[in-house]
Amino acid sequence: MTVLVCLDDKNGMQFNGRRQSRDRVVSAHMLEDSGGVLYVSPRSVPLFPPETALAVTENVLEDTPEDGVCFVETPPLGPAAPRIHRLIVYRWNRVYPTDAALDLQLDHWTLRERTEFPGSSHPKITREVYEP
Amino acid sequence: MKQTLMTWMLTALVAAMPLTGCAGLPAADQPQQTVSGDLVGGTFSAEEVPAYTDEAYVAVHDNVPYFTEGDLTTDSYESYSPLDALGRCGVAMASVGQDIMPTEDRGSISQVKPSGWQTVKYDIVDGKYLYNRCHLLGYQLTGENANEENLITGTRYLNIEGMLPFENMVADYVQETDNHVLYRVTPVFTDTNLVADGVLMEGWSVEDGGEGVCFCVYAYNVQPGITINYATGDSWLSEEGTPAEEPAEEEPQGTAYVLNTNSMKFHYPDCSSAEDISPENRQEYTGTREDLVAQGYSPCGRCKP
Repeated sequence: MTVLVCLDDKNGMQFNGRRQSRDRVVSAHMLEDSGGVLYVSPRSVPLFPPETALAVTENVLEDTPEDGVCFVETPPLGPAAPRIHRLIVYRWNRVYPTDAALDLQLDHWTLRERTEFPGSSHPKITREVYEP
Repeated sequence: MKQTLMTWMLTALVAAMPLTGCAGLPAADQPQQTVSGDLVGGTFSAEEVPAYTDEAYVAVHDNVPYFTEGDLTTDSYESYSPLDALGRCGVAMASVGQDIMPTEDRGSISQVKPSGWQTVKYDIVDGKYLYNRCHLLGYQLTGENANEENLITGTRYLNIEGMLPFENMVADYVQETDNHVLYRVTPVFTDTNLVADGVLMEGWSVEDGGEGVCFCVYAYNVQPGITINYATGDSWLSEEGTPAEEPAEEEPQGTAYVLNTNSMKFHYPDCSSAEDISPENRQEYTGTREDLVAQGYSPCGRCKP
């Protein structure tokens, strides 16, 4: 499966059980990444327009099919790592409060692609594509 | 809208609502690493803050602000406390909405000398200068520039590692949702010290009942490797064990700028374009705008120094 995550400069994902940031341009890119249906948790739903094709599940990493694409906001990802054949990281290029960070060692993955684009509230978003 | 807080106490009425978990979140999605809840008021005590170890901030009050339901409003405002008899700032509070966020880059604030202010440089400090004029309410939130009631003497570490991350989080949330965040920053002074020990930072997103933003943290006004006398603002390298006999240098005349020696542009230090200057082309400069122009530099088009 392909997993999408958003990270700050310290690979943080959340603080106090809440996302660090959001950006509607990033959400649009994620829908393009999905190519159809994006698997998300219930709390990720407000990030996307109402008519978006979402598969909403409490167990995103378990319920996303092998050829599916999911957006994960909460670590850990480690237990699902053997099923992840592509990891797409959206970097905010800012530092936010964090108490929950990505638990994958990205230096053990191969960076295949890196692109940049402006977000709606972030001057620069970096999109990185990793493979095991 | 601005108003002045003539009196404000962290003591607040305890709301009748029990601690039932973050509003709006399914039970399965309740954060595991912290305990959050509806607003219950309460009283902050500096005694509950652990001594600094190696984290720029620490959650207090289970990471739930001391606000009460009565504090919540969907009208934007900002308020500041008058300086006390020692010239120290008090609590600053805002309901941050898009309508009070800045539309222009920040101007110079070098004319303000917060209590305990000293201009002192160390090689081990990012940007050299130990102290920054720290906005209680970050400029990106309320657009308040050189207001002496909103600026404290804070270390670079407090400014960048302790406060900025929370300001970023609040600013992004407001910009993306057009909701409001009730936001309060309280400098914490011991006795008659002129430099704050730290700041209490609280945030709560109003329209979604704290689902988007909810934090209550204490950020330490420390700088790793440097010891500070909070009574005066004097400082010294911790490894030397004794205070410097004199301030490291006199207050420089003029304004602090960052130069790009390649493009020959000059910027305010907090200009986003200044962050992108490569180290070999970056130079810090304190002086007058006229001197820079005479040297062939031109002002940045973004921060317009």
